[in-house]
Amino acid sequence: MTSSASWTNEWMEMQQKYWQNWADASQRLFGQETTPATAWGNGMDHWWKALAPAAGSDMARDFMDKMVEQGRFFFQMAEEFAGKLAGAGAKADWSGALDNVTGSLKDAFSRLGAGDSSVHKMFAFWELPFDNWQRMASSLSPVPGDVLRNMPTEGMRSKLDRVLGTPGLGYTREEQGQYQELTRAVLEYQETLAEYLGFFSKMGVGSVERLQWQIKEAEQKKKPIGSARDLYDLWVHCCEAEYADRVMTDEYTELHGRLVNALMRVKQRMSVIVDEYLGAMNMPTRRELRTLQDRVQEARRETKRLRSELDALKKQLGGKAAAPAAAPAPVKAAAPRKKAAAKSRAR
Amino acid sequence: MLPIEIRPDQLADEMLQYSQKLGKGIENLLNASEIDTGVSPKTAVYREDKLTLYRYDAPEGTKRSKVPLVIVYALVNRPYMTDIQEDRSTIKGLLATGQDVYLVDWGYPDQADRSLTIDDYLNGYLDRCVDHVRDAHGVDRVNLLGICQGGAFSLCYSAMHPDKVKNLVTMVTPVDFKTADNMLSGWVQHLDVDLLVDTMGNIPGELLNWTFLSLKPFSLTGQKYVNMVDLLDDPEKVKNFLRMEKWIFDSPDQAGETFRQFIKDFYQMNGLIEGTVRIGEHRVDLKNVVCPVLNIFALQDHLVPPNASKALKGRTGTKDYTELAFPGGHIGIYVSGKAQKEVTPAIGKWLNERS
Repeated sequence: MTSSASWTNEWMEMQQKYWQNWADASQRLFGQETTPATAWGNGMDHWWKALAPAAGSDMARDFMDKMVEQGRFFFQMAEEFAGKLAGAGAKADWSGALDNVTGSLKDAFSRLGAGDSSVHKMFAFWELPFDNWQRMASSLSPVPGDVLRNMPTEGMRSKLDRVLGTPGLGYTREEQGQYQELTRAVLEYQETLAEYLGFFSKMGVGSVERLQWQIKEAEQKKKPIGSARDLYDLWVHCCEAEYADRVMTDEYTELHGRLVNALMRVKQRMSVIVDEYLGAMNMPTRRELRTLQDRVQEARRETKRLRSELDALKKQLGGKAAAPAAAPAPVKAAAPRKKAAAKSRAR
Repeated sequence: MLPIEIRPDQLADEMLQYSQKLGKGIENLLNASEIDTGVSPKTAVYREDKLTLYRYDAPEGTKRSKVPLVIVYALVNRPYMTDIQEDRSTIKGLLATGQDVYLVDWGYPDQADRSLTIDDYLNGYLDRCVDHVRDAHGVDRVNLLGICQGGAFSLCYSAMHPDKVKNLVTMVTPVDFKTADNMLSGWVQHLDVDLLVDTMGNIPGELLNWTFLSLKPFSLTGQKYVNMVDLLDDPEKVKNFLRMEKWIFDSPDQAGETFRQFIKDFYQMNGLIEGTVRIGEHRVDLKNVVCPVLNIFALQDHLVPPNASKALKGRTGTKDYTELAFPGGHIGIYVSGKAQKEVTPAIGKWLNERS
C-alpha cells in the first residue's frame, strides 16, 4: 500500500493518461468525448444492440440488458468516488471530498423527492423498487404507469376540486359523475405516488449516509475498498439495510397500503366506465360475467357434493351386493376406507 | 491511505474483465433454448378442473413406503420448484428415501375460477386428491407435506380431517402471521382487500411478483445480475440461473375469493393461531392436529421468518412434535446442495419411522 500523497499523484497522472486514451477512443468510435465509465457503457450498448436481436429468448435478452445496465452503474459510481477522493489534492483531504460527493448525492435524492425528473436516470439503480411498482402498475392499467407520475398537479387541486364538485346536469349527468369520480381517483393516486417517491428519496439520503459512514470505517479499519465491484456491493448493502429499516415502519406500511388502494380506486372507476360502454354496445359486462361465474361455481359445488355422495352410496351398495336387500345406512362422504379397490376418478 | 483505492488502470482492467465475461457469456445465453423444469418422471393420476395430481415414478430398486406422501404446494408460484433440476430436487430426494410421492399441482386459475374459496380448495380439490390416493393405496390415512402457504393449508386440512392424515410435515410454513419481522404481513395490514379483489377479480401474478421482489429490491433486481456475470462462462450455471428466473416470474394469478380470505383471516386477523379461521363448515382449531408433526423452517427466510413457523410449537394437539432448523433461505431449503444432503433425508427418515 502506498502513502496517500504519492498514491494521489500517481493516480492523477494515470487518470490523465487513461482519460486521454478513453477520450480518443470514444471520439473515434462514437464521435464524442466521455468519461471512461460512460465510454465503456456506450461501447457495451453498441455491442449489445448489435447482438441482442440474435439472442434466443426474451428472458436471455432481458437478462443481458440488466447485466450491462448494472455494469454501467457500478463503474460510473466507482469512477465518481475514486476520482473525487484521489483528486482531493496533495493533502489528501479525502474526508472533505467524500462529504462533497455524498453531499451531491443527497442533494440529488432530495430533488428526486421534489419531483425533479432530470435526476431519475442517474438514480436508475436506486429507483429499482419504484421502477418495479411502475411496471406492475402499468401491467394492471390501460395507460403506462409513469403517465400518472409525470402528471402535474401542483396548484391544480383546488381548481379541480371546484370543477369536480359541480353536480352533473341533463341526460349525461351520471356519465359526468363517473368521469368526475375517475378524475378524483387519478388525482388521489398521483398524490400518493408523489408521496411514495418522496419517501424513497428520504431513504436514498439515508442510504448515502450509511455509505459515507461505511467508507469512513474502511479507512479507520485500514481496509480500503479496492474495486468497483466492492464499492457497488457496499452500496447495495447500505441500500438494503436502510430499506429494511424503513419499510417496516408504521409510516411506510400505511403509505404502502394507501398506494395500492389508490391504484385500485383508479382501476375500479375505469372498470365502471368500461362496463357502461359495453352495456351500451349490448355486450356482456364484467359485472354480468361475474354474476354468471358465481352462479356456475355454486352449481358446480352442489354437483360435486352430490357426486361425492353418490359415489359413496354406490360403494356402499356394491360392498353389500351379496347381502340381503336392506335400507342403506346413512353415508358419510369422508368415512375411512378399508382396502377399497384402486380407482382413478379423473374428471 | 484512502478509503477507496481504485486506480484508473485497475478500474479499466475491471471493465475489461467484465466485458470479456459478458462477451464469452453471450454465447451461452444465445444458446439457451427452452428451459426445462420438473425433471423427475411422473404420471398424472387425477385431474379436476385446472388441478392435476401427479404420482412420481419410483427409482429402480427402491422399496416404496406403504403410506403415500402427498405434497401440497402453495397457490403462489409453481410446484416445480420441488423438482427444479436433476441435482437439486426435493422430490428425487424423497423418492430415494422410499416415499411414494404425489404432488398437487393447482394449475393457473383464470377469471372463471375467481369465486373459488379456500373451502373449495381444501375441502374440495385437496380432499378429493387425498381420497383418490387413499382409494388407490387402500389406506385410511396419507402423509402430508405442505410447503409455505401449502403448509398453512395442510395444517388446516389436518385440523379439519384428522382421520385422513397419518403424519404431517410443514416446510417454511407461516403459522403466526404477525411476527414483528414479517415484512409481508406489515405491508398488507393497511390493504383494502375487498377493494382489491372486487376490482381485480383474480389477483394478478405481477402484483405478487412485485411484492416478493420488494422484500429485497436492490439485491433481487440489481445485484444478482452482477453476481451472475461471474458464472456466465459455465453453460450449466447459466441454465440453472435461467431456470430459477423462470420459476421466480412464473406466478399464477390468485383466485380472488381465496386471496380475500387468506389475507383477511390469516394475515390481518392472524386467525390460524387465534382459532378464528372458518373454512366451509369447519372452524380451524390447531388442537385438532393430533398426528405427528415435523416442522421445518429456514433460519434466513425473508418471506416466512423462522419465528412465524416456530409459533406452531405447543399449538397443535400432537404429542409427537419435531422441529428442524435449516441454515438457509426460503428457496435454498429446496434447491441448495446442503438441503439435498440434510433436509430431504431427514424428512424421509422421520416419515419412515412413523409410517
